[in-house]
Amino acid sequence: MNILVINSGSSSLKYELYDMKDESVLASGHVERIGMETSIVSQEARGKPDAREVSEILDHTAAVRKVLELLTHDEFGVLTAISDIEAVGHRVVHGGESFSESVLVNADVKKKIRDLFDLAPLHNPAHMAGILAVEANMPDVPQAVVFDTAFHQTMPPTSYMYAIPQVLYRKHKIRRYGFHGTSVDFVSRGAAELLGRPLEELKLIVCHIGNGASCTAVLHGKSHDTSMGLTPLEGLMMGTRSGDLDPAVVPYTINKEDLTLSEVNSMLNKHSGLLAVSGLSSDMREIIQAMQDGDEKAKLAFDMYTYRIRKYIGAYAAAMNGLDAVVFTAGVGENSDIVRASVCEGLTFLGIRLDEARNAVRSQEARAITTDDSKVAVLVVPTNEELLIARDTFQLVRQAAKLQPAGGIRKGWIE
Amino acid sequence: MFRKIGVVGIGTMGRSISKMLALKGLDVLLVEKSQKALDNAIQLLEAGLDRQMERWAITLAEKKLILSRIHRMNTIQDLADCDLVIETASEDLDVKKHLFKELDQVLPVQAVLASNTSTLSLTELAGVTQHPERVIGMHFVYPASRIDVVEIIRGLETSDDTFERTKAFIDKVLDKKSIMVYESPGYVTTRLICLLINEALHLLGEGVASAEDIDSAMRVGYQFEHGPLEMADRFGLDSVLAALERMFREYGELKYRPSIQLKKKVRAGHLGVKTGNGFFQYNKDGERLT
Repeated sequence: MNILVINSGSSSLKYELYDMKDESVLASGHVERIGMETSIVSQEARGKPDAREVSEILDHTAAVRKVLELLTHDEFGVLTAISDIEAVGHRVVHGGESFSESVLVNADVKKKIRDLFDLAPLHNPAHMAGILAVEANMPDVPQAVVFDTAFHQTMPPTSYMYAIPQVLYRKHKIRRYGFHGTSVDFVSRGAAELLGRPLEELKLIVCHIGNGASCTAVLHGKSHDTSMGLTPLEGLMMGTRSGDLDPAVVPYTINKEDLTLSEVNSMLNKHSGLLAVSGLSSDMREIIQAMQDGDEKAKLAFDMYTYRIRKYIGAYAAAMNGLDAVVFTAGVGENSDIVRASVCEGLTFLGIRLDEARNAVRSQEARAITTDDSKVAVLVVPTNEELLIARDTFQLVRQAAKLQPAGGIRKGWIE
Repeated sequence: MFRKIGVVGIGTMGRSISKMLALKGLDVLLVEKSQKALDNAIQLLEAGLDRQMERWAITLAEKKLILSRIHRMNTIQDLADCDLVIETASEDLDVKKHLFKELDQVLPVQAVLASNTSTLSLTELAGVTQHPERVIGMHFVYPASRIDVVEIIRGLETSDDTFERTKAFIDKVLDKKSIMVYESPGYVTTRLICLLINEALHLLGEGVASAEDIDSAMRVGYQFEHGPLEMADRFGLDSVLAALERMFREYGELKYRPSIQLKKKVRAGHLGVKTGNGFFQYNKDGERLT
């Protein structure tokens, strides 16, 4: 069964085509600058030459049409007909309180995603455009939606409520939702596999450290608490986001600098974090380079960044009254041994003993980077949100079709 | 929906509207005959974007993206494939009539032809075109990227289709509040605000209160972001004078007669923020000096 995974942005669309027989990627690509006369489509397909084309793609429907054309193209494509795609899975950022798991798209689901536009004004409308575009091009193909927030719907109210007037929760659903759920779900299963223990008895802290960054306390396989909140701004310090700060800073700054709401939003989301403290870059690699060259501001940025991750690990170990493993994932988490070492340095009181040689290894594999006698393991588990979306879509479609579960689907997924 | 938009005129409003459209991700064709004036306008735009960057409103990447969407054009003929053209030339009926005639000949028949006029008659402008049904008024309030209200003005022959497309564009693409008004000098915004400014000038002339205190009264008392005199400085005193004179002529009522204080300032060339002095003093970034 072939499944197309789509991540639809306001002016871009990324896609992967999976063959679920062996969970391999048949083709992947992206469309950029949707809505312009010079849109760019590029695709890499297994055993076929790379394709790249500049043309006018005015909306998401035209973008999906172009993707389908490329996937079935004589020279660049891997499919003989569009009907070879049996289902489409979409990433959706915000599922609010309506979705605690992935679902197949129907009229009710679409309405609920629309109702959540206010909570994710930059993302959900773009995802909806992607869903409608697939519908227009392939009306009979089932579609599934996988939410970044769904995994965190298991959090208890002690974790998700803010201590502000409750009318704000009742009226506007202002609460902690958390993000990166698909990734946390994926890597915590990988961590359990690697540890050789059932996920249901583990206390894990997953640090998804990429351009956006969050920590999640995964208690017995379920999200217990997470650092991102109503929006992805809360929690850890990030590339250009401030993370936690005294909320009074916002009105105080608005008043002192005569800022509008959109200016202060932009300041906290796009002009803060590593970029603001270092004055150099939002990219951790450049920060580390500058720090090693003796730049003091870069060092402060780096130290603040790792200090905050350490604080969250300490807090979540306390929240779960124990800890079996810390799991690093996503761009920085998977690739920066220096960040991992710096975070773990101050966590020896938990019984973490980092193995420097293991930490220094660069690899695409899930692995432990602590010594064998470390009381708490530290793992690196590469994330793969697209694959999880493909799997969820596959499962949902199969359930709906009431097919016999085929064996071997989950086998070998950690390699 | 409109994707490629022509803007005619590089004055305060032309630049402000161009910037706002580019910020929304639309391609803008900015027209001005003189290449030097056009380059100068783009420089002013860039300086404005730099100031916004200093205020964290945009990032460097966003600034580059915005500038890359504003294309410099030298003739009206360059607008031939636009879906919408917004004319922002100075409030001079003959100039605008001439432009509308030319635009009407160049633009495809389904394109919408809009004017940012605040006091001139849309019906009169439409009268010089072959397709008066596609002529409409789109009156933005300065600065267009910060103020989210647009008056849509229907001329006598403006079609429902033109109106609906324009309204959908303002509400959905520009994400602003559209107000529908019928043709009448000054519509709602200009008529009310110019009267307030004029009355503030009478107060000043009569020596009832100082400029500072008049502005404070309205700012603190009625939550205005700027008081009426600073507002006048920001609009440009010559523009305020022109709007009042036009309304005075059209309505014939004394309440629209421009205050002598305003005329004096304009005659002296003290036009407000753009010349650095009006009722208050300003630096070149448009910030008020206290």
